[in-house]
Amino acid sequence: MRRTISRNASRRSTLTWRETRTAYLLLAPSLVGVGVFLVLPVFVVLALSLRQWDLITPSRFVGLDNFSSILTDPAVGNSVLVTATFVLLVIPTQTALGLLMALLLDRGLPGSSVFQVIYVIPWICAPLALGVVWRWMFDPSEGALNALIGHRIEWLTSTTLALPSVAAVAVWSQVGYVALFFLAGLRSIPQQLYEAARIDGASDRQVFWRITLPLLRPTTSFVLITGVISSFQVFDTVYAMTQGGPAGRTDVIAARIYHEAFEAFRLGRAAALAVVLFALLVAVTLLQQIYFRRRITYDLS
Amino acid sequence: MTTSTDKGSTDKGSTGKRSTGERSTRERVGSARTTATPTRRESRERRSPRRYAADLATYAVLVAGALLTLGPYALSLATSLKTPVQFAREGALAPPWPVTFDNYVALFSGRYSFIPPLAITAQVVIVVLVGQITCSVLAAYAFARLRFPGRDLLFWAYLATLMVPQVVTLVPLYTMMTTVGLRDTFWGIVLPYLFGSPYAIYLLREYFRGIPADILNAATIDGAGTLRTLWYIVVPMSRPILATLSIITVVTHWNNFLWPLIITSSEKWRVLTVATANLQSQYSSNWTLVTAATTVAMAPLVVVFLIFQRHVVRSISLTGLR
Repeated sequence: MRRTISRNASRRSTLTWRETRTAYLLLAPSLVGVGVFLVLPVFVVLALSLRQWDLITPSRFVGLDNFSSILTDPAVGNSVLVTATFVLLVIPTQTALGLLMALLLDRGLPGSSVFQVIYVIPWICAPLALGVVWRWMFDPSEGALNALIGHRIEWLTSTTLALPSVAAVAVWSQVGYVALFFLAGLRSIPQQLYEAARIDGASDRQVFWRITLPLLRPTTSFVLITGVISSFQVFDTVYAMTQGGPAGRTDVIAARIYHEAFEAFRLGRAAALAVVLFALLVAVTLLQQIYFRRRITYDLS
Repeated sequence: MTTSTDKGSTDKGSTGKRSTGERSTRERVGSARTTATPTRRESRERRSPRRYAADLATYAVLVAGALLTLGPYALSLATSLKTPVQFAREGALAPPWPVTFDNYVALFSGRYSFIPPLAITAQVVIVVLVGQITCSVLAAYAFARLRFPGRDLLFWAYLATLMVPQVVTLVPLYTMMTTVGLRDTFWGIVLPYLFGSPYAIYLLREYFRGIPADILNAATIDGAGTLRTLWYIVVPMSRPILATLSIITVVTHWNNFLWPLIITSSEKWRVLTVATANLQSQYSSNWTLVTAATTVAMAPLVVVFLIFQRHVVRSISLTGLR
């Protein structure tokens, strides 16, 4: 079609005009969607973060007061720490376990794909419903876990065990999903490389560290970056299991934003917190990007 | 050559013992892994005791993983099939015998009103699915196939919005919806997701670019307009990616919790996840009822997943669901 247009120069401008009009008509709904529900909120959140508002009395401009108040608030500091700890507990564990499961599944033993399907089931389920199920599992007197191990442990009300318990549930529900990505990555590594390494007399360990792991780098970076972004925003699991308790030990940033906005009705502070979280996420993502950029990736396609 | 006969005979030999479901997945492994056959042949030739030990260890870990994964489902399902008295007397690990459906009856009989949340959730999922897919297809076609000023800039802007985390938009969206009076309404729940998602547009655009130009030109020459071409040629040719996107959308919105929790306040507009959370906080010690609720919240998607597992698993590794 393009060739026809260039040959027929006289009709060209009307056709281009028509094509432009059609394009914008097709784009109209999504322009509304992206503009109103994704771009506009970013500006609204920035504007709100400079105001004080409780939803009832009219809002008023307070400049950077919200930021100075949240940055000195110990509860916010605690939330940042809790979230960072959560991410540090979840990401390495789920990545290592996901890689292990992928390596085992990649051996191609009969039944591997059945196991693969089983491992993905938790990923399909609502994190909220799974959180409720695990709240029951962890229940000190009526839960299945204590019945299984035979003595009473206060999993979710202990200040030391609550966060690791929530992190364990997050890992449990995401390992299968991570393994799926590693499996796809493993299958894209050409077999000739392994054969060549074997002929050269490489041991299993050498093959893993020198071939498999470096060649999985694109998968690893994808899994880590998306994993960190979603773990930083964790809410449903925490809401279902601990509601931020005990003593704020699982009070992640998203839960704090929810509390500020919809329980304490301090929308300006909530918006300022959201802006801080956004900045934090952009910084972490950029750092990860730079880290993986600097390392060599191998294009095998 | 040797590989194929070898594989064929193992398949045939084991067919009788395996369930049909497992057999079909087994065949899938065979077809999906054609590139990996050399190592498998190699492993078959070198059947040393060390290999057997490794296979055994692999199965041990895989089975342990499966038990860990399925355990909580099995236990909570079992609990939901007990009466509170049974549960209190026999504990969490006892099998549900005699089986009772009292909890499910109670859940649906009106006392806890779990039917409206199911209906609302289904409506939300259907409306979002239709709206999002339609709008995304239209936009993706424009980006992939039409030439117009501002195309690259706009597409770049769409991609940039993928960087915005959901938590950041919650507070502003809430205030915006409140301002226009859509708080605590059905449209308040679905509107933010109705007009297409940048991620879906990105995936569809990639796919549409792969459709041969000759086919689309032929349609134009035959006098088909843009919408006709889209509906009769592009959409039927894009079934796999549309199925993938539909699955992503259904899973995401069936499970969505935070936004419906914030934007609705009355019982009338409670979706399944919100209703489950509510039931849990209201009847926190009534675990037989609560586990029945979580089972109802999860079962439909698990069943759908098991039916379409092959497609879902493939789409996740292609697109990174969510």
